[in-house]
Order: sequence, then structure tokens, then C-alpha cells
Amino acid sequence: MIFDILSDAFFAAVAAMGFSALSSPVRSSYLYCALIAAAGHSLRFVLMNTSADMSVVPASVLAALVVGVLAVLLSPHARTPAETFLFPSLLPMIPGIYAYRAFGGLVMCLLHGSESGVFMHYFYLLATNGLTCICVILGMVVGSTAPIFILRRISFSATR
Amino acid sequence: MDSIDDTGGLLCDYAAELISSGATCIRLEKNVRRMALRWGVDVEIDVMPRHVHLAVKESDGPCRTFMTREIRGAISYSKVTRLSRLSWQVADDGLTPADARARFEAISRQPGANRWWILFAASIANAAFCRLFGGDATAMAAVFVATAAGIYLRQLLLPAGCDVRLAFVACAFVSSVLASGCKLFSLGMTPDTAIATSVLYLVPGIPFLNAFSDLTDGHYVSFFTRLTDALVLTCCLSAGLCIGMRLMGVGMF
Repeated sequence: MIFDILSDAFFAAVAAMGFSALSSPVRSSYLYCALIAAAGHSLRFVLMNTSADMSVVPASVLAALVVGVLAVLLSPHARTPAETFLFPSLLPMIPGIYAYRAFGGLVMCLLHGSESGVFMHYFYLLATNGLTCICVILGMVVGSTAPIFILRRISFSATR
Repeated sequence: MDSIDDTGGLLCDYAAELISSGATCIRLEKNVRRMALRWGVDVEIDVMPRHVHLAVKESDGPCRTFMTREIRGAISYSKVTRLSRLSWQVADDGLTPADARARFEAISRQPGANRWWILFAASIANAAFCRLFGGDATAMAAVFVATAAGIYLRQLLLPAGCDVRLAFVACAFVSSVLASGCKLFSLGMTPDTAIATSVLYLVPGIPFLNAFSDLTDGHYVSFFTRLTDALVLTCCLSAGLCIGMRLMGVGMF
């Protein structure tokens, strides 16, 4: 289990560092992105795969909250806005597979509109995956941006 | 003595550059008001879909309005950071509008990150993403190649003036076709994960997150603008993915 957690943290850190390159951050922020993403993603992994046995939505919200708090608290040290760490660190938690399956369900619903049994199967896939995807994204957004608004004084004077 | 034209013009250009670089509306307001307060003017800002509209008023003078077009391009947190620092330099060190203008121009001209670094870093990131979704080593390698090809194509198309939506369709198509090789040639145990992950580097995650941040702060126009832009791009990448999978004859979903 320890190896699985470390592996999850490592690949989340690599993903966050790499994706942060797409938003041209200052060089010093890569390390912060990696650390925050590793902490957030591995926390979600633990919440979902241990005795806590949480479902993906609450686990993502809690992990996003931790990511948000860490990003705000670390931003004055790097003298960069919290969003520089926060948004790339969240990207590995975006439920891409759920979105993909929901999109697949939608396409198959459209292709099999006249066959009610097949249509219902794919409509079920569309609904379950689509709802999960939307709830995870909304929960992550609320969880991660709340610290920016709550810790306003730190968030908006980090670059001072 | 700097005129209100210089001050208002700089604040409006600053606001447009900041929003174009990917800053949230709350940060934009905080930074612009911080500088305006130091220079003794009141400001009101409207962030519209294609321009920033700024009204400036001196305590006993008339109200002047300024507009600057937003050039929506690549997100640059490096610019957001430097522009935010500039606002504090104005507030704390008392920079004049003329001095601030010179520094602002230098920040605006700052080149983006090295394209080869972006290509390499994003490809590695997407391969790691594939692993997080349960992909095996073969799937990760396929995703790395598919992502590198897609990003290289995007780096060719966008500077050549290609419409960003068409570029997204083309990149998603190329990436999904390359990742489909896993399924066509029975490479690895998780070809479906490779195909699904191959286009995820195109998901406009930061615009989505910025949109919801604007919603939280009550900037509904900016929220709808950013959300609509992000949804359009998501539809484009989905279309490219669909066409690629259909063409390669890999079972759709």
C-alpha cells in the first residue's frame, strides 16, 4: 500500500509539473506545483483506497481543499499568486476518464436512438459518469478556491 | 505631472494584459485598484468578452473612459506574477505612471517559454496522467508520442494563424489516431486508457477553473465568457477524438 501511495504521489507530481509548463509559470514554481499535487493526489488516493473508503466526490473535495490551503500558504514564499500552483496542481485530479466515458455514452446514445435496450444502457453510462464528473469538478473548484477567498490577506499580498 | 490620460491608459492596458495572461477577475480588480489608489484616482472596471472597459475619475475632475482590446493568447503565469509585483511596486515604492509604463512594456514583451521544453514537459505529464488512470508502460509510451505529436502540430498551426478551434480538432485527431495504434496492433494491456488519455492535454483546465473563480466573486459576464470558450474547445477536442477513433475503426467507447 505504501508503494502504491508513493507511486500515486510521484506520478501526480510529474503530471502537475509538466502541465504547469503549459501556463508558463516562473521557474521556481515547478517544485511547489509538484509538492502540492503530490500531497493532494495521494491524500485522495488514501481516502478512496483505505478503510476510509470514501467515494470519489468527497475525497476530491477534501483533497482540493488541502491543495488550496497549501497553495495559499506557500505563495508568499515563492512571491507568486496562489493560482500559479493551485490550478496546475489540480489538473491531475480532473476526472478525465469519467468525462471520456460520459462523452462516449452520449455518442452511443445518439447512434443507437432507435434501439431502446441499447439506448438505455448507454444513457445510464452517460448519466452516472456525467454526474460524477460534474460533481467532482464543482467540488474541486469550490474546495480549492475557497482558501483564496477565506485567506484573502495572504492570497493577494503574496507578490508584495 | 502625469495626465489622467496616461494614468487611465496604463491602467486599462495593464488590466487587458493581466486578463489575457490568465488572471482571475478578483486579482485584476485588486491590482488595478491598488495602483489607482496610489495615483489618487477612482476606477471602475468591466471585463467584457473581447475588451476591458475602464472608467477613471479624479476627485474633482471629470470621468474618463478607456477601452483596450484583449488579445486572448497563451496563459502565462509568469506575466501574471510580474504584473502583480508591479502593482505592489507602484503601491509601496511610489512608481509614477511613466515609470510603471516602462516596466509594463518590458513585461508585455516578455517571450513565452521555450517551445521544446513545453512539448517535452507536457508529453511527460500526459504519460504520467495515463499511469494515474491505470495505464501500463506501453500505454504511457503511446500517450507520450501522441501528446508530443499533437503539441508539435499545435505549435505549427497557431502561429500560422489557424483558428484555435480547428487547431484543437486537428490536434485531438492526430493524438487519438496515434494512440489508437495500441488497440489496432494489440500493444499492451490497456489500449483504451491510452486512447482516452491521449487528448487530455487539450482539456482547457485553467480557463474552467478561472471561470468558476469569477463566478464565486460575482463576475458573471467573465464567468460565462470563459466557460463558453472552454466548452467550445472541449467540444472541438471531442470532435477530433471521435473522428480519429471512427477513422481508425477502433470500437467507439
